[in-house]
Amino acid sequence: MTRYILFRLLDAIPTVFLVLTLVFIAMRILPGDPALTALGPLADQAQLAIFRERMGLNDPLWLQYLKFLWDAVHLDFGTSLINDVPVRDLIIRNLPHTAYLTIVSVLMGLTVGIPLGVLAATNRNKPADHIVRLYSLIGYAIPDFYLAAVLLVVFSLKLGWFPINGAGHGFWDGLYHIILPAMTLALLKSAFLGRLTRTSLLEVLGRDFVRTARAKGASETRVVYKHGLRNALLPLSTGIGISILATLSGAVAIELIFNRPGIGRLLIDAIHERDYPVIQAGVMMFAFFVVIVNFIMDLVYVLVDPRIRMKS
Amino acid sequence: MSKPLLEIRDLNVSFGTKDKPLCVVNDVSFSINPGEAIGVVGESGSGKSMTALSILQLVPTPPARVTGQVYFDGKDLLQLSNSELTSIRGKEIGFIFQEPMSSLNPVMTIGDQIDEAIMLHTDLSADARRVKVLELLRLVGMPDPETRIDVYPDQFSGGMRQRVVIAIAMACNPKLLIADEPTTALDVTIQAQVLDMMLDIRKQYNSAIMLITHDLGVVAEFCERVIVMYAGHILEDADINSLFASPKHPYTQGLLKSVLTLTEKQHRLYQIQGSVPPPGTIKEGCPFRPRCPVRMDRCAVEMPPMKSYGPTHVAACWATAEGVE
Repeated sequence: MTRYILFRLLDAIPTVFLVLTLVFIAMRILPGDPALTALGPLADQAQLAIFRERMGLNDPLWLQYLKFLWDAVHLDFGTSLINDVPVRDLIIRNLPHTAYLTIVSVLMGLTVGIPLGVLAATNRNKPADHIVRLYSLIGYAIPDFYLAAVLLVVFSLKLGWFPINGAGHGFWDGLYHIILPAMTLALLKSAFLGRLTRTSLLEVLGRDFVRTARAKGASETRVVYKHGLRNALLPLSTGIGISILATLSGAVAIELIFNRPGIGRLLIDAIHERDYPVIQAGVMMFAFFVVIVNFIMDLVYVLVDPRIRMKS
Repeated sequence: MSKPLLEIRDLNVSFGTKDKPLCVVNDVSFSINPGEAIGVVGESGSGKSMTALSILQLVPTPPARVTGQVYFDGKDLLQLSNSELTSIRGKEIGFIFQEPMSSLNPVMTIGDQIDEAIMLHTDLSADARRVKVLELLRLVGMPDPETRIDVYPDQFSGGMRQRVVIAIAMACNPKLLIADEPTTALDVTIQAQVLDMMLDIRKQYNSAIMLITHDLGVVAEFCERVIVMYAGHILEDADINSLFASPKHPYTQGLLKSVLTLTEKQHRLYQIQGSVPPPGTIKEGCPFRPRCPVRMDRCAVEMPPMKSYGPTHVAACWATAEGVE
């Protein structure tokens, strides 16, 4: 078991390294002069030169690369070119909001999606199944930025039930502020997870051991939840992982529309302002997030599937 | 004669649409007495498994349609609701499946799976149930049950898994044990071990057994009575001695002739020409007619009725009834 975790961790190292390298290369081939962007068109040549020197932009590329790696390993992302704040502080300020949005929307997606999938699978080709499938289709079809705008207009502007923007202060206010943005992200998740639950559960319910459970005298509820869903969790956990990761791309749009702080928002602003250190850090955060989620999912597999546990 | 434990009357199982039904079990009627061991033999596709599964309503409906009566202890099982059935499944009637590799839940320990069968039908405490599970594991010949109880099915071989499946079926000491080809998926040496073990259990528990198999050797060793099925029909139903001494149906005769014997010198093993017709291809008359060596014109028109050939022997064949050999 420890060995398995250790190997998974070792697996993550090359991924992180590769991501760092790609980020570095991408940043250097972007068009535009960071010094010019940072100081504005009014800066003279001398000021630009001082700025470049200070940011290490004059160093040979390999030295920049090594410095970059060294700093990244120490979680030192430099300071923002725009407002001179350490990037680390920006990340620390924004990351919890994105993490919160992810957690709440995934929980919403799970609590709606899985029961819907079970309902559809146990009522295959009956009205309940058709309704759930229609719901899934709608969930897939509506783009999140559009849904976000519709929800904002209806629930915040017209009905006044929810705040229009911001993240709120304190737990309850925070929860109040996150409901609409999380719901927006959760619709696609519940549609995706509902469909996935339906498919995997139907596949599992056709297997021989389900018949054995019935022959034992297990009730239908027990057969579906204890034997069916427990086995359907194996493919489902992959889907949950994908769904968590999908929050990232969603968060960019949602944080903008709801005017919430967060990594997605931070990244978009930084790209507009060509704030290199912040872009680098933001992309790295996303990449780390992917690596961490994948690592956690690998651990989840071990928990839900004893066969993997035995092999390791 | 005592009251039968299980009595099946006019059981029909069909798939397909109402207008074009594909019957896989046709008007099957037979009964099993308490403590009796009967064998149901026939080729693949003869409807043996379907008959067995529909006793406990384990055939998914739809797509299947099941009609007829299955009386068990005076109740018609086909009329019971799902919740009423759960108190019979596993408790009164145990079921052993053919495929040990896939009939156990891969994410539950074997102990938990046996325990579930006990838990569902008794009020025993967790500790008492564990003792019972260990007892069952010993009964099915599981070596070292104390450590094996917490093991997952994937860590076991087919033979060991089949022992677990049998332990589940025997967990509540059922009055009837339905075993659907319990040894077919196992290799020969393991087959013998599992069969011996089942014989032992039978002696201890005195359950009635319905053993589905295509192995006449197993039937001879295990059963008191045999039912021969073909394409969803029962063709012959006889006590074991009578059947082996003088089989009445040409199909049974063919089956017996195609068994390998060690005592006589044989050149080429007998085989019944052709194969089992797919469901729905033979609409009237005797389903065995196309492959029958003694077929008559009448066979194409009318299904022969069961005719008695002694107190415990019936067969459905026009030719035999008219004395054609």
